[in-house]
Amino acid sequence: MAKETPVDLLQGTLDMLVLKAVSLGPLHGYGVLLRIQQISQGRLEIQQGSLYPALYRLEHEGWIAGEWGQSENKRRARFYRLTAAGRRRLESETKKWVEFADVVGGILKTAPEEL
Amino acid sequence: MSVNSRVRTWWRAVRHEDVVGAQVEEELRFHIESRAEDLMRGGMSRDEALRRAKAELGSVAAARENSRQAWGTRWIDEVRGDLRHAIRLLANSPGFALIAVGSLALGIGANTVIFSAAQHMLLDRLDVPHAEQLRLLEWSEPQDGVVQAMWGSSDGEPGGGQRSTSFSYPVYQQLRKANQSLADICAFKEPQRMAATINGQTDAITGEMVSGNFYSTLQLQPQLGRGIQESDDGEVGSGPVVVISDAFWSKRFGRSPKVIGKTILINSKPMTIVGVNPAGFTGAYSAQEHPDIFLPFSMQPVVAPQALDPTWPASLLVNKDLWWVLMMGRVKPGVSTAAAQAALNVQLSAAVRGTMTVNKDSQVPRLILTDGSRGLNPYADDMSKPIKVLLGLTGFVLLLACANLATLLLARAGARQREMCVRLALGAGRRRILRQVLTESLLLSCIGGAAGLLLAIGMGDMIPRLISNSPTPPSFHASFQSQWHIFGFTAAISIMTGLIFGVVPAFHAMRVQVSGGLKDAAQTATHRRRGLTGKAIVVLQVAISMLLVVGAGLFVESLARLGNVPVGFRTHNLLLFSLEMPKARYSDKTTVPAIRQMEEKLAAVPGVQSATVLRFPLISGGAWNTLVVPEGRHYKPDERHTALVNGVGQDFFSTFHIGILEGRAFNAGDTGSAPKVAVVNQSFVKEYFPNVNPIGRTIIAGGGDHSSILRIVGVCTDAKYYSLQEAAQATFYRPYEQIEGMTDPTFAIATRMKGTDLLPSLRDAVQSVDRNLPLLDVRTQDEQIAESLQQPRIFADLTGAFGVLALVLACIGIYGITAYSVSQRTNEIGIRMALGAEPGRMLRMVLSEASWLTLIGVVAGLGGALALGRVIANLLYGLKAWDPLTLAGSALLLLAVALAAGWVPAHRAARVDPMQALRHE
Repeated sequence: MAKETPVDLLQGTLDMLVLKAVSLGPLHGYGVLLRIQQISQGRLEIQQGSLYPALYRLEHEGWIAGEWGQSENKRRARFYRLTAAGRRRLESETKKWVEFADVVGGILKTAPEEL
Repeated sequence: MSVNSRVRTWWRAVRHEDVVGAQVEEELRFHIESRAEDLMRGGMSRDEALRRAKAELGSVAAARENSRQAWGTRWIDEVRGDLRHAIRLLANSPGFALIAVGSLALGIGANTVIFSAAQHMLLDRLDVPHAEQLRLLEWSEPQDGVVQAMWGSSDGEPGGGQRSTSFSYPVYQQLRKANQSLADICAFKEPQRMAATINGQTDAITGEMVSGNFYSTLQLQPQLGRGIQESDDGEVGSGPVVVISDAFWSKRFGRSPKVIGKTILINSKPMTIVGVNPAGFTGAYSAQEHPDIFLPFSMQPVVAPQALDPTWPASLLVNKDLWWVLMMGRVKPGVSTAAAQAALNVQLSAAVRGTMTVNKDSQVPRLILTDGSRGLNPYADDMSKPIKVLLGLTGFVLLLACANLATLLLARAGARQREMCVRLALGAGRRRILRQVLTESLLLSCIGGAAGLLLAIGMGDMIPRLISNSPTPPSFHASFQSQWHIFGFTAAISIMTGLIFGVVPAFHAMRVQVSGGLKDAAQTATHRRRGLTGKAIVVLQVAISMLLVVGAGLFVESLARLGNVPVGFRTHNLLLFSLEMPKARYSDKTTVPAIRQMEEKLAAVPGVQSATVLRFPLISGGAWNTLVVPEGRHYKPDERHTALVNGVGQDFFSTFHIGILEGRAFNAGDTGSAPKVAVVNQSFVKEYFPNVNPIGRTIIAGGGDHSSILRIVGVCTDAKYYSLQEAAQATFYRPYEQIEGMTDPTFAIATRMKGTDLLPSLRDAVQSVDRNLPLLDVRTQDEQIAESLQQPRIFADLTGAFGVLALVLACIGIYGITAYSVSQRTNEIGIRMALGAEPGRMLRMVLSEASWLTLIGVVAGLGGALALGRVIANLLYGLKAWDPLTLAGSALLLLAVALAAGWVPAHRAARVDPMQALRHE
């Protein structure tokens, strides 16, 4: 089966951000969006259209679990919480990301005289 | 990640698509409303906020589709979409759909029928648990081996030796006792004809004699009652019991459970029914025949004494010289077949030396263990070639149907080029397009396959039996033992055909250029190449058609020649029936007078012109071959000097209209005690008495102790004896009173009455002599001959049908490609006509193209037909496989069909109105 949406770096990043957002407590889809904006202090603009496919994908992988519940404004909404598998995933992803950022950052900061 | 959750969400998405979709929509709606509320809090109007929120989120439908991709169910939607599209396309052109499905159904149906025949005749296993563990015991010996007398089949081996599966009963007993390498060894005898009397009515049935451990060795549990046990197979006469077959139980006892314990007469001896076999059980001899009863060997001397040689005792169980019993065993865990064979070989040598006198120079047979899972598989040798030829021909029919569909689809692909371009331009991947096109062809082939399977099930009953000379011809449709194989086969060839004929249009669709395709004028850009593919397929189609038409021509002509072959005797208005005179009640001394009496009574029946009796019926496949030495001649050991012989009644020559050229026919004076006489045929005279008057000369017929000196009293014209195919052979006739072994005579009645009207009085005449003798195999001489033509007729019928089908398909193919080419070239033709070309010229142009294609195809097909000819040469009669008339006729027929098929589109081309054609663009 051909995946027609190109898999790019951003998509991987989005998954990680969603996992992190949900790890702080169960959230509905819109809540995830708000929480990421809040944590990033609005510096990160999330494409709303790609949020839900990401949520479904993560649920499909078994990293988050969705359940119907009541929202703060008393409406039916689907809440997602992190599963045990999701927590392990988040940890390993975080570790990988930090390592990656460290390496890339190190390279980028290298001054000519250090070589 | 967890597989569990993946499967769960996937399954949920598949099973509850609507619910899940609604939930996605609800979730998105919640998102939009929440977002809108936040925006309204920022001072936006409600409508504006909602619009903005929706725009930010993007299309709900797209989100829903993306969600299904996330769950891995997107491909299901795509396949569903492709299928819906394909069904709509087919529904839009019912004519195309009908032709496509119809030709596929015929092709696949024919393949399924022939495959199931092949499966049944060649591959079906005995219906017992773990048939693959069974081993059949065989032996082979060089030319000077100890086995001299045999009742059963044997094959010659290079170097003059022989190979057989028949053993003597004492050898069986010793081998079984000594055996430690097989689980056990059981014995059986191929089914024999017997007479069963139930409630006063006597019928011919078949019975298989088996040893007491037969049921336990085969691990067979009867569906009712018990099997044959060791205790039934002790002293002679100790087990007057039979186990009956499921079919016999249905036919004669209405499946009544009270059948157990019932006593019936087998060859006039009372036997008790103790069990009913399961429905699929065929005994150990073959997987095709269903013997009616099974009885223990202990009853052989009582029920079926054999008088093959008057010096032998009636019991074959103590006969150390006659080899006739078949043996089978089950492998023992941990003992390899090779080790078992080696051990049994030693034991066989001991058994042979212990039971027979083995000369110093004689060789003892060597034992061989072979696969016993199919019994003796007696039809494999005879049937495998014809079945393979039929399989090959049906394969060609299917290939033809594929080629046909490929051309039709290609023509349609031309019309759909714009559709493909639009799809590509809108961003469909090429793989996606390929999948769409293949889905269409697979849909077609699967519908065709399903229709073909139905057709095959319907045809299964119509296909006649492929075997005509067995006492219980296995019926063709009864046992589809391996239905799943057949179903799997049909499914597999359906999918394969779909891929084969779908691949060309699919690649064509892939090649489409977006930039050019969308422009109308670019229609001609790919025309040349595409035209070439189409033409190549048409050539292939014509070539295959040629092959099939030639095949049909050869087999039909072969049958016609066989049907017209002069047999040398009268075939019309002759009624035949046979008797089985139980050897328990008839000795050689009493047989002849009884037959004599019947002959007289039959001749006296009103409506009977004459009646006579034969040892072997004519054209029945069976004949009696014997050594002859004419008076005063001596032969070297390796010189062939045999002739065919038949025992006949005194009215034989007049009844069968066989002319007496010199001397006399037999008469009432040629009794058993009178001097022994013979009438010989012309070929006999030519071979043994060239340039001499044979009348009054003597010949020595037979070998060893059984030879007799015969005086030639007459010469008759040549007549066919055992088959229509035989060449004229030296043959002589003897009065039946002067020969042995007349216990299964065939009577021939010359009459102008209908058989059914005459039969009751014939039966009365026979039963006035012996009221326990049923009339067996009542048929006319014409029917007897027709039966011997059964296999050639099946071939002629099937290949004839294939040939007609091939012509129709070729016709459709040529019409399709020509019509397509004309429609593509309407523009060009219009210009030519506008420039002054005459309509006749256009007609010729189109027709000549069609004829060229056909001609190339015919030549290619000729090559194929010549190759085919080498394979089928020995299935033909009276003509060579490269029969020039058949080849030329087929070529002309195909050319004529091609011209006819091309005529309509060519005519259309000639009538193109230039103005219209130019405006058309």
